[in-house]
Amino acid sequence: MENTLPEPFRELERFVPSWALAAQNDREAQRRHSTRDDRQAFYDAMAPRLPAIIEYLDRHALDALPADAQRLMRLALAAAEIAPTVELYKGSATVPFSFEETRFIAVHGDRKD
Amino acid sequence: MSDARNENGMNERVRWARAFPELGTAPIPTDRCLAPEYFALERDKIFKRVWLKVGRVEELPQPRDYKVKRLEFANTSIILVRGEDGEIRGFHNICSHRGNKVVWGDDTYGLRGTTRGKSFACHFHGWVYGLKGDLIGVPQEELFFGLDKCQNGLVPVATDTWEGFIFINLDPAPQQTLREFVGEHADRLGGFPFSEMTAVYDYYTILNCNWKIAWDAFSEAYHVSTVHGGSFPGVFEAEVKQVGMYGIHHSGAAHQKPSPPSTPIAALTYQLATASIAKPGFRSSLPPRINPNRDADFAFDQSAIFPNFLVHVTEGLYFTHQFWPLSGNKTLWEGIQYFMPARNAGERFSQEFGQVLQRNAWLEDTATMEATQAALASGVKKFFHFQDGEVMLRHNYQVIDEFIARP
Repeated sequence: MENTLPEPFRELERFVPSWALAAQNDREAQRRHSTRDDRQAFYDAMAPRLPAIIEYLDRHALDALPADAQRLMRLALAAAEIAPTVELYKGSATVPFSFEETRFIAVHGDRKD
Repeated sequence: MSDARNENGMNERVRWARAFPELGTAPIPTDRCLAPEYFALERDKIFKRVWLKVGRVEELPQPRDYKVKRLEFANTSIILVRGEDGEIRGFHNICSHRGNKVVWGDDTYGLRGTTRGKSFACHFHGWVYGLKGDLIGVPQEELFFGLDKCQNGLVPVATDTWEGFIFINLDPAPQQTLREFVGEHADRLGGFPFSEMTAVYDYYTILNCNWKIAWDAFSEAYHVSTVHGGSFPGVFEAEVKQVGMYGIHHSGAAHQKPSPPSTPIAALTYQLATASIAKPGFRSSLPPRINPNRDADFAFDQSAIFPNFLVHVTEGLYFTHQFWPLSGNKTLWEGIQYFMPARNAGERFSQEFGQVLQRNAWLEDTATMEATQAALASGVKKFFHFQDGEVMLRHNYQVIDEFIARP
């Protein structure tokens, strides 16, 4: 597998194709379309590494992240997107007792991180 | 639960009914959300006569930047444009020639752009309007009959700004200035750094319910332990604090339990966050009248600007809700979160966490509205019963009735 993440985080490489997404709309769709096991595996891999990830990323200016760090940032943002499903919603892909999510239009949703 | 009664026979925990006796305690008729005639009166006597927020100045940073906003209840669309002189002006989006729409596109939520030259041109026959609405060009002008260009500009709409919020008033002769209309909120919120919070996350949807069903759902804290049991379990207190009444407007405050979350990612974002809806603290830079006692468990202040705009402020962020009636049982809801721009990855990560969690909470809030409207439509229930903590809803209904009673 090609290494596209900063060296200390290479073990997360397998999550890059599915989760290193630039736009919030895409991260939100990936949450809804992924399986419970996919989300749990991603969560389990990311949660213990996030303090080190943030520490690593904070060495760079946020608006000038190198490409590999940018990918790592996107993984962190995807972890923020799925964290409530694991930590609050018992693994459910969507918010329990909620409005139909696809009817919520995010005006900012295609903005790239 | 205490059942002690005070001198009026009210439970001693009843607070706002005693503070605001003019609001009464009677049930509210549900036909306010059902009767088409009542909606027609709301439209004509309220929405067409008061100041309505339609944008932020940051949406039009440069001269020639414009925003077009559909106002369905008035069957119109408004062009807001920043002129070469820096002023933001508003016009009805309709050509003086044969009534064509001048700027096209989906303006349901708000269409933004920049004019190519210093003018708008109608696509139908090429009539050209300057950024001050003046008619400056008519192809084949010599073939018209006494056409006075000076009398045929775009129809202006009263437009003004307050704290960077752009408001319009469809009344050709507004009875109050925007500053008079905003009233005491200007003193309460003055000094809050709205203009610095330029990281914007905005949502909208169309809800099949009366606009007040949506507005009501965001006007009390009674629902938090049930509706937000998923996204904010045990986080917020189910009681409104610091209620203030300012004529047609009001405010209240939400408080929360100051214990940090225990799950790993939530706990990390809590530690990294400089601003989050889910985190109390750092309240020192708020204006003196917001969280006036500097309560450590303060969550956010909610200011209602009648008839359809809510502004919530707390340290480092603010968020707004707006409820646009499309018809008597259809509402365009807009919810926008504004943050200080993240300065590093940790802030960006925690902002994303807080922001999507709040989106999730809004998905919980909006979940009840269509079911409420559908059930009310049966006509089986004739009254809403508001408890003491639903005082802000009670105030809304009273103010609406007052407007409707006006000549």
